[in-house]
Amino acid sequence: MKKTIIAAVLLGSAAGAHADAAGGPGCGWGNMLFEGQSGMPMHLLATLVNGTSGNATFGMTTGTNGCDTSGALSYSGKSLLSMNGVLEEVAMDMATGQGEALTALSVSLGVPAEERAHFNQVMHQNFSVIFSRDDVTAGEVADQISAVMKSDEILAKHI
Amino acid sequence: MPPGIPAFIVFFLLILALPHSGSASTLEELAAAPRWHALLHINRGATLRSRDQSYVDDARFFLAESGRSDPLAELQRSVEVLGQSGAEQRCRFPARYRYLAEALGWQEAEPFAHCDEYLSWRAGIPDASVVLVFPAAYLNSPSSMFGHTLLRFDAVDQQSDWHAWAVNFGALVTADDNSIFYIYRGLAGGYPGRFSTVSYVSKIQEYAHLENRDMWEYRLGLDADEIGWMIDHLWELKDVDFDYYFLDENCSFRLLELLEVARPQVDLLSDLRFAEVPVNTVRAIEEAGLIASRLYRPSKAVELEQAGEALSVAERRMAVRLMKDVSLADQAEYQALPPERRHLVARAAYQATRFRDRTRENNQQAAANSYRLLQLMHANTAPEPAAIRPPQPPERGHATQMLALSGGQREDNGFAEIQYRLTYHDWLDNHRGFLDGAWIEALNLRVRREESDRWRLWQLDLVNIRSLAPRTAFVRPTSWFVHAGIDRPEVAGQRDATRFVRGGPGLAWRLGRWLPYGYLQARIENNDNVEPFINSAGGAELGLLRHGDHYSLHLSGESLYFADDQYRHRGQIGVQLPVTQQNGIRLSAVHDEWRGGRETSWMMTWRYYFD
Repeated sequence: MKKTIIAAVLLGSAAGAHADAAGGPGCGWGNMLFEGQSGMPMHLLATLVNGTSGNATFGMTTGTNGCDTSGALSYSGKSLLSMNGVLEEVAMDMATGQGEALTALSVSLGVPAEERAHFNQVMHQNFSVIFSRDDVTAGEVADQISAVMKSDEILAKHI
Repeated sequence: MPPGIPAFIVFFLLILALPHSGSASTLEELAAAPRWHALLHINRGATLRSRDQSYVDDARFFLAESGRSDPLAELQRSVEVLGQSGAEQRCRFPARYRYLAEALGWQEAEPFAHCDEYLSWRAGIPDASVVLVFPAAYLNSPSSMFGHTLLRFDAVDQQSDWHAWAVNFGALVTADDNSIFYIYRGLAGGYPGRFSTVSYVSKIQEYAHLENRDMWEYRLGLDADEIGWMIDHLWELKDVDFDYYFLDENCSFRLLELLEVARPQVDLLSDLRFAEVPVNTVRAIEEAGLIASRLYRPSKAVELEQAGEALSVAERRMAVRLMKDVSLADQAEYQALPPERRHLVARAAYQATRFRDRTRENNQQAAANSYRLLQLMHANTAPEPAAIRPPQPPERGHATQMLALSGGQREDNGFAEIQYRLTYHDWLDNHRGFLDGAWIEALNLRVRREESDRWRLWQLDLVNIRSLAPRTAFVRPTSWFVHAGIDRPEVAGQRDATRFVRGGPGLAWRLGRWLPYGYLQARIENNDNVEPFINSAGGAELGLLRHGDHYSLHLSGESLYFADDQYRHRGQIGVQLPVTQQNGIRLSAVHDEWRGGRETSWMMTWRYYFD
């Protein structure tokens, strides 16, 4: 049941991304594949004192920053794909056919370990569909992943 | 009735009453127990500030008014408050409640039934095992130089570490805090420090992907009960302010406290722990027998380096060309490669491109290039991925403090020298467990006595940091150094203590095991004997560093030209033989020339490293 919720939520959040960034701006669904990250807290001091940003989070029940809290793999209301830098990792793993990012994605989609090789293969074959442009957004990628899984005999049940 | 019987009955009744009211002596014992002190974060002598008081600088953390300095008063008040069924404060202090309930025999089936927020948080925190994570330093990033430590909580059936939770202690920094003043505050304790829990994947992004820091993951041998203590206590620390001190009360120190809550008998914090360097935390938990296994997570920099090494020279050249123009993939030279090699060449080009662009503003041209390289990788089937070769783990390195004894000769004068260094590593120190080319020293003091003279301060390095970041086909980093302190050059015929600051940018390469390098150098100094008050100089240094299997060797030559027409040249050679992990022998020789003189000195040193 948990899987269904996660998958449904992934779909739902992603669909909303086209309309108007689900859960409000800053939730990351609009992040592009090669989003520049110079705006990250890379300051000298932040590193020196291992700083946490102004709204330090303390788990899932607080600090959601107004984001849709029900996103797939919701960490403080953020989805895995919409997190800074993750989209790029997923893209590289899909182009290769395996990797840690792809594993993490499959886990968040509820794909069991025994179907992982198949999942990797399907994702690899559909790389050009899922990552169709160099400025594709996290929301679009989530949509395409769902579409690809739906049309696959084995993976369709997870969507 | 015999006279003893009424007394016996009273005594028996007292015992019966114990679990409910508690006798004075039992409460005193409970208040003195290590776990209670750990739960209250009482300083038992690990640092000099607030001895025998709690480190927590936040009234909300204590139920008794004098709770910060009186563990017994806090315990008594906690018994009163938390003992009541449905008490609101139970939701704030679940670990304290558990401590008292277990010790005093409170029996309640669902003591937290009214604590929705706590229960839902607790259910969401994975609690199958705990990992101590050590993001090591990255060469060219001075602020990362000592590394960091955080905890990771894993779920029982966790199939991807990305889904784990990270617990981080750091200073609470706001976005506009970015100036020298704030660095001062960070060092001196002007920031509140707080715990936060975030997704582990965001920590991987931050350290391994953006800051290029290798991560070491040490799984701790804690059982479910001990992990439960830790998580419950973590909740008590939600939004609680500690002072953050860079040197001692930092991320690592706080994690040791958490480990003491989990297993009070490990006793990690009774001894003075000044300058709690994160790698010492790893050593401390290793000595306490807490490490069950170790895993290495390479940074993007290491992945790129090894991807480059896996290519032939011709393939590497192709990869560099692909970075500039992906359409070169159509040429015969590239197409002649087998598909797997084509994949690896495209992959190295992609990794190098992203390494360069990842921390820049997004731009259309860069994105288009990266995307085409991804397509090229996709079009050519990947071989089985090669495992990344891990370096020596950081806890195998030498200890952070050092004491050294030297004997030597300067011209015709024999001398003896004593040296103490607070921290941390120079190029000749045994490089096992350290980054090649990293030199980080703070508070390095040398006193020397020459024949027919008294003991004198010979040199003091307040800060001496050098980075040698080799330039490769793919990356073109700039090395740099900065050095401030007191030395004794001969100026106007005298050797007086001279205060100086020097530094500059440089370039370095790797040729086999040799690291040739060059630095430009600017120096300003102040010497009481000469005008002007501040003398300035410019110059350069060329050198060669080699780390062999059983020795390290460094050669260098530098020249400085001063505004007042003085000059100084120096050539030096040093070699160190590591005897054991904590001992080394160093031989060094220096030749100096300046306007009006020259001299040569050599010395032999025994270096002993300790914590």
